[in-house]
Amino acid sequence: MKRRLVRCFLGISLGYVIILGALFYWQLFANMGQHPSNPRYYQMFREERGAILDRHGEFLAYSNQREEVFTRVYATPSLSHVVGYFHQRYGLTGLERLYHEDLLRGRWLHTTIDLQLQTFVEEMLAGREGGVIVLKPNTGEVLALVSSPTVDGNSLDQSWSDYLGDQRSPFLNRVTQGLYPPGSLIKPIIYGGALEQKLAEPNKIWTDRGILQIQNRVLSNYNGKALGVITTDQALAYSSNVVFAQLAMDLGEELLGYLSKFGLGFQTNFELSVKGGFVPPKASAPFTLAQLGIGQGELLVTPLQMGVVVATIANRGVMMQPYLVQELRGGLQMRQISRPRVLGEILPEHVALSLRDAMVLTVQEGTAQGVAHLDLDLAAKTGTAQVGQGQDHSWFMGFAPSHRPEVAVVVLIEHGGSGGAVATPLGAKIIAKALELGESEKGKR
Amino acid sequence: MRPLYWAWLEFTLWFSALVIGLWITKGLTNWWQPLVMWLILVLCFVVTKCFGYPGEALPLVGFLVFIGWIFLARLDQKWAEQQFWGFLIGMLAYCIALFGNFLSFDTPRLFAGGSLALLILTLLFGQRIGGAQAWLTVAGLRFQPVEISRIFLVLYLGRELSGKPLNWKNILVLGIFCCLLILQRDLGPALLIFLVFCSLSLYTHFSWYTLFGYLGTIILGFFIAYLWFPHFTSRVLAWVWPWNYPDSKGYQILQGLFALNAGGFVGTGFGSGVVGVIPANHTDYLFAVIGEEFGLIGTFSLLLVYLALAFWAIQLLTQVEDAARRTMGLGLTLLLHGQVFLVVGGILRLLPFTGMTLPFVSYGSTSLVAQFFMLGLITSLGGAPDEEKAS
Repeated sequence: MKRRLVRCFLGISLGYVIILGALFYWQLFANMGQHPSNPRYYQMFREERGAILDRHGEFLAYSNQREEVFTRVYATPSLSHVVGYFHQRYGLTGLERLYHEDLLRGRWLHTTIDLQLQTFVEEMLAGREGGVIVLKPNTGEVLALVSSPTVDGNSLDQSWSDYLGDQRSPFLNRVTQGLYPPGSLIKPIIYGGALEQKLAEPNKIWTDRGILQIQNRVLSNYNGKALGVITTDQALAYSSNVVFAQLAMDLGEELLGYLSKFGLGFQTNFELSVKGGFVPPKASAPFTLAQLGIGQGELLVTPLQMGVVVATIANRGVMMQPYLVQELRGGLQMRQISRPRVLGEILPEHVALSLRDAMVLTVQEGTAQGVAHLDLDLAAKTGTAQVGQGQDHSWFMGFAPSHRPEVAVVVLIEHGGSGGAVATPLGAKIIAKALELGESEKGKR
Repeated sequence: MRPLYWAWLEFTLWFSALVIGLWITKGLTNWWQPLVMWLILVLCFVVTKCFGYPGEALPLVGFLVFIGWIFLARLDQKWAEQQFWGFLIGMLAYCIALFGNFLSFDTPRLFAGGSLALLILTLLFGQRIGGAQAWLTVAGLRFQPVEISRIFLVLYLGRELSGKPLNWKNILVLGIFCCLLILQRDLGPALLIFLVFCSLSLYTHFSWYTLFGYLGTIILGFFIAYLWFPHFTSRVLAWVWPWNYPDSKGYQILQGLFALNAGGFVGTGFGSGVVGVIPANHTDYLFAVIGEEFGLIGTFSLLLVYLALAFWAIQLLTQVEDAARRTMGLGLTLLLHGQVFLVVGGILRLLPFTGMTLPFVSYGSTSLVAQFFMLGLITSLGGAPDEEKAS
């Protein structure tokens, strides 16, 4: 009798255990907060969301009340790749997504972006496909990040289907997720490696005949031009493929080590979603190495990665963590999200300074000579990356002033043609504008 | 025993804080009701103890009733006011059941007759509210006869099944009972009674053939109901594919799950849940409201209290010598916990949802009175031995 009653109790207990299991699942593990039928999801559109500000306190994004619903207003379209967008139907992206919980509680997000510079760069890129990133080399702050074409967070309702049908993929963030062969922009890394390994001296003399025979294959300079007798610095300034293919072969497997030390092939640690690009895991064949040395072949990078590379050279070989968000304010506590963080010493200081001198020479007499008249005290490197179809990708990277760098810039124009002719003037103008804005910022302080 | 008194005191203080909170934020005018309820509950506890009955269930039930009351007051004050009167009548019913010694009545025909008569009266004179024709008005008081009817039926089944093997008369009574409920479109109690019947019959005379026979009947009944009753068909569809009908059939079950899911571990906090959107949030779905605002901690403690009640009832039954009284007591216990399983299981999508109240917690005066009556009956089983002899 008693045993049967105990069994009854065990049966009842089993029922409660099953119910508890289901409760654990639905209350802790199931994720239904975003379901379109869940009224809690729409609740967040009825509350004022925290604003997002630029480095001077200008609004990048704020909530505007229309009847019962708040809609988000963005200062300029290109912010959809940085700040992201927040929309009742199309969800949320970028910083809006990353700091959703805090913004929902009314906290304000202070970013490193300079709205004036961002708008300027956006205008410069209008009508082109490409990306630009502007960084402060000594801190890693991102001053502007523009990918073109872009969607406009203010008019998603009207233009969503156009955006979806657009062949130029305006949703793609070309700076963080676009993958491109780096072309000659890789050469400073090769040069840095060669200097550190003492395979070359800045004044070492090379003879460039315009083509280089490697086993049974041939590699030539841009337009096959023979540069004659040049120093290593001049080889960088004139972007000699012959010399850098030779240096890459001299470096051998060490080359891959330098590429990964600069973060190529890895996902950059950043607030937005990024792609890692591609660096071949092994390269021993001389021709493969030579191709890597001129930034062709299998190598793929994002403009963001090149931005970190040029900022590292500008910062005398010390790599800084790139970041977008400074702090969150409001509520009970202020939260410092990021402060400048050193990621490591990638090159010895004297090597970085030699690279800088070579890049200054690039502007004085090399491939970036077209912008020498601007008198910017600029250090730069141009790149022209060959692609399978269409015109070459046009690259520029540079920083200024060369002795105490304030800004570092990377410009990529898809199918723009030669780097010196297309990306370089754009890059120089952006640097000039950034320096001008930087001066006025100092003035205010 | 002593820690239990402390726990009760602690609960009282915590509950008072909630009442004061509602009084401040919502201007609760019936704040005195829980005070009266508390006093009456303590009084009943003392009385139960003084007459030598085990009264340990009362604080547990008190916990459930107070949780239910505070959530009803949070949703709409008028429901809490109603629930207060239900509680008063319920305590009266408890005392009547406790001292009436009904479980000793060897009158199975009276139980069966009373049970069926109540249902037939409902079918003839009943009002239809919210789908089921389940309400009867007598002298200005409206109540749900099925709540009382099923207690009689369980008493009948308990007495009949305890000694003799199952005979065709029991099956006939059960069949008529279930058919009457199905005619009223009240499938939940029919299923519940059938499950209690199966368990009791297996408890008294276990055999694998009967077990599989019952399982087969349940599965067969499920398919017949699915094919023949459109009402049940849509319940099943809402159970299996709620995501396909988010605005129609599946609306209630989805909103309930959203509420539970929003609650997480500690809940969104008392009064801050988005609960207005759940249909029947004061009756069948009150559990989901509690789950949103008190989180897993709240629902977990609620279920623990039910489990403690089950433990209390079963250990009480082990001391009952008379087989008929024991079987009846077990039937009542299973009726209470079976209802919890069907309601909570329905909300959690373990079973198709059958609309019933969560015992002692949900809004519903008849249900509350009937539950207290059942509690009185079970408690009366633990009476002093000399009283048992006297009866």
